[in-house]
Amino acid sequence: MSAVVSPIREPLITGGKSYHQITEDICSPTERTPTTAWVIAFILAVAGLAFYVFCVGWTIWQGIGSWNLNRTIGWGWDITNFVWWVGIGHAGTLISAILLLFRQKWRTGVNRAAEAMTIFAVICAGQFPLIHMGRLWLGFFIFPYPNTRGPLWVNFNSPLLWDVFAISTYFTVSLLFWYTGLVPDFATVRDRAKGLRKRMYNVLAFGWTGSAKHWQRWETLSKILAGLATPLVLSVHTIVSFDFATSVIPGWHTTIFPPYFVAGAIFSGFAMVQTLMLITRKVLNLEDYITIEHIDSMNKVILLTGTIVGVAYLTELFIAWYSGYIYEQFAFYNRVLGPYWWSYVGMMSCNVLSPQIFWWRSIRRNILITFLMSIFVNIGMWFERFVIIASTLARDYIPSSWSYYTPTWVEIGLFIGTLGLFSTCYLIFTRIAPVVAIAEIKSILKTGGDQYVGPNAHAHHASEQTTTH
Amino acid sequence: MERFVFDSKIKNVLFGFMGLGVLCLAITFFIDDELHTRFWTNFLHNSVFFTGIAFISLFILSAFITAWAGWYALIKRIWEAYSLFLIPGLVLMLIVVIGLWGGFHHLYHWADAEAVAEDSILLGKKGFLNKGWYTVGTLIIVGIWIFFATKLRQLSLREDENQGMNFAVHRQMRVWAAAFLPIAGFSSAAIIWQWVMSVDAHWYSTLFAWYTGASWFVSAMTLTIMTLILLKNLGYFAKVTPEHLRDLGKYTFAFSIFWTYLWFSQYMLIWYGNVGEETIYFRERLDNYPVLFFGNLVLNFVLPFFILIREDNIRKYGTMMFASAFVFIGHWIDFFLMIKPGALHTAHETLAHHGATAEAAEHAAEAGHHAASTFEIGFTVPGFLEFGTMLGFLALFLFVVFRNMAKAPLDAVNDPYYAESLQHHA
Repeated sequence: MSAVVSPIREPLITGGKSYHQITEDICSPTERTPTTAWVIAFILAVAGLAFYVFCVGWTIWQGIGSWNLNRTIGWGWDITNFVWWVGIGHAGTLISAILLLFRQKWRTGVNRAAEAMTIFAVICAGQFPLIHMGRLWLGFFIFPYPNTRGPLWVNFNSPLLWDVFAISTYFTVSLLFWYTGLVPDFATVRDRAKGLRKRMYNVLAFGWTGSAKHWQRWETLSKILAGLATPLVLSVHTIVSFDFATSVIPGWHTTIFPPYFVAGAIFSGFAMVQTLMLITRKVLNLEDYITIEHIDSMNKVILLTGTIVGVAYLTELFIAWYSGYIYEQFAFYNRVLGPYWWSYVGMMSCNVLSPQIFWWRSIRRNILITFLMSIFVNIGMWFERFVIIASTLARDYIPSSWSYYTPTWVEIGLFIGTLGLFSTCYLIFTRIAPVVAIAEIKSILKTGGDQYVGPNAHAHHASEQTTTH
Repeated sequence: MERFVFDSKIKNVLFGFMGLGVLCLAITFFIDDELHTRFWTNFLHNSVFFTGIAFISLFILSAFITAWAGWYALIKRIWEAYSLFLIPGLVLMLIVVIGLWGGFHHLYHWADAEAVAEDSILLGKKGFLNKGWYTVGTLIIVGIWIFFATKLRQLSLREDENQGMNFAVHRQMRVWAAAFLPIAGFSSAAIIWQWVMSVDAHWYSTLFAWYTGASWFVSAMTLTIMTLILLKNLGYFAKVTPEHLRDLGKYTFAFSIFWTYLWFSQYMLIWYGNVGEETIYFRERLDNYPVLFFGNLVLNFVLPFFILIREDNIRKYGTMMFASAFVFIGHWIDFFLMIKPGALHTAHETLAHHGATAEAAEHAAEAGHHAASTFEIGFTVPGFLEFGTMLGFLALFLFVVFRNMAKAPLDAVNDPYYAESLQHHA
């Protein structure tokens, strides 16, 4: 007996797919030679990656002096990019873990790609603290282990060290979660393949046979990982926010930072999922699996989290005034009307004001506007971190040391370079793995397929029966 | 269709408890200090707590409608009835407002014109912390909440008559529910700053509004579990299964952890920053209210975490009743701890300045030596009078809820998700 589905719900899989058709549609992109579009995109991405490697080399060879950090700004684009990428890395685990707990069926269409994106985004994020060390080869100093360095020992009181643990844990669990989901799908690809390809996918699928016992263990493992991943969604960005909020710097030391950073992270993560999904569904012909319903739902999440972030911005502004603490008041005055006013305007308009157009259903379902908005939000969330970091650091307590920070080409290059790194990883992913979770999509076919639910369900179902009989 | 009958037996029990509440309030009033601090803090504490539960129930309904949740359709009438307590809630808060204008209480340091005149920080906040804003804010914000509560209730009742595959009414509900969410986000913050955070008039925390919201959320969930089990025992809600109980339990579990997360974030950042103006809030509570301070964490985190994490516990009516009762009291204590220390401090200060001579000297000593242990029943820990008052307010809450529940069928059979809810299993 299939579960009862309310007639008010829209179908999540269109085109009256059968189980076989789903396998065909999702596996075939990995079996064809790449399209020209893919090749061009890949060349561009690898060029970006090469530029990244060049900029990293330049930074290490020349030293951190090749960045425009100055007397009060010890962090600039690097930490901005770091927080931006970590934030983007939140949507995948939110979709796979929290939406799983909430039994949101639409997650099945986008979870695979979102989790992949999460992993690549965290890889990009991890680059920046390492490069900022200047001496990359000493990166292992961040791990507390018995050593002969005497007093050179990690500072357990520092949120920067907590970041090391939080992000590496998050990365590990996300990777395991993603890979666990991939195992049965790799087996599906293997079963369709021949020769060396078959052997390779067999290794990737850990010899999955699809027995009842395999499925049972797979379900148990997925549940455990979902349970572990759920607190991690909150903890990672909470600890990133501690990097700022544990200090006593006006504008940073505020208690709302942890949940507000998490909301912002989900916001930016969904925007990036939207950007990628809109392209992926078009290029790989997956419009039946990543439907307008999915896009609509994700736009709702963007509207929701954007508004939560808006509540937080206004709360901060208000409490800064309310606190009666003049330095706090100045910090916010400076943020809004100081030399970086343009970045505050960018942040407010991209993050809070523009997503409000998603109150209209027709706009949530408009692909072009959604795409533009997803880019807007990505920009806005980058600005948010820049506002918090640069506008606060540029003007500290002593006006004589006030300065204005602009990045060098190396810093800009590092940012653009990580976009190349990210795209390269994502493009390779679309070639080797099914970008939609085949097994999970199949599990919702009877409750989400348009031949079973939605306005055309009965007619469609009837005609299908007549043709098969 | 199943209807709740608010019979005289239940009514008499509730009247009995309301009588107890009135009696406790009266006793408190007469044994109180000359500012009636204990009486008024008890009144404010319970009014804010139960009005907040009504508000957050409306928020829960709106969030579920917006998220297309299906499982809750069988029990949504409980939350509808809860949300309608906003009307008596407004009346309760207006009594506090009247007290503010009449000078009947000294709950708020900022309401004392003389104190404000010599306090540069309170002068700076005068644009927000004043009687006018307090009154207008309460009226407008709770008024808007009442508007949305009655609107959603009306539409929900209209849905009962709207048969067939036409979901026009439900689509209308979606619009109103979605519109309420951002309004709830902004307005609850604005009003909680006035009602509760301003009791400690110098202190501030940006997280405070979300923290109280999480506390209300868990209180509402636990109260829902208890009401549901009670009504099931009376023979109603026969179609509600342990699967629905489990979902309510999951929300209690999840939001207990979320509450703890916010508690920790607020405490940790203030502790780490170590700015005197901020740490004083926790210093006061750690020094003078240690039982409640740690008890708060035990009742609201340790207990629900270990009980509700077990799959078998979360489906048992008895266990859930027990756990919910403790967590409910836990959050009531959480609000107690938000209000009492600040109000007591204000009272000591005020009495030291204006009070009768002998008593003034005593209070001056207390105001001066804050770190010294000063056990006061009704402040350091809730006494019998506080619990009696709380039972009175709870009875009033349930009286209003049951009256509203009796006005409509318990089964919202035309809710588009009714069939899903009936079949719900997780």
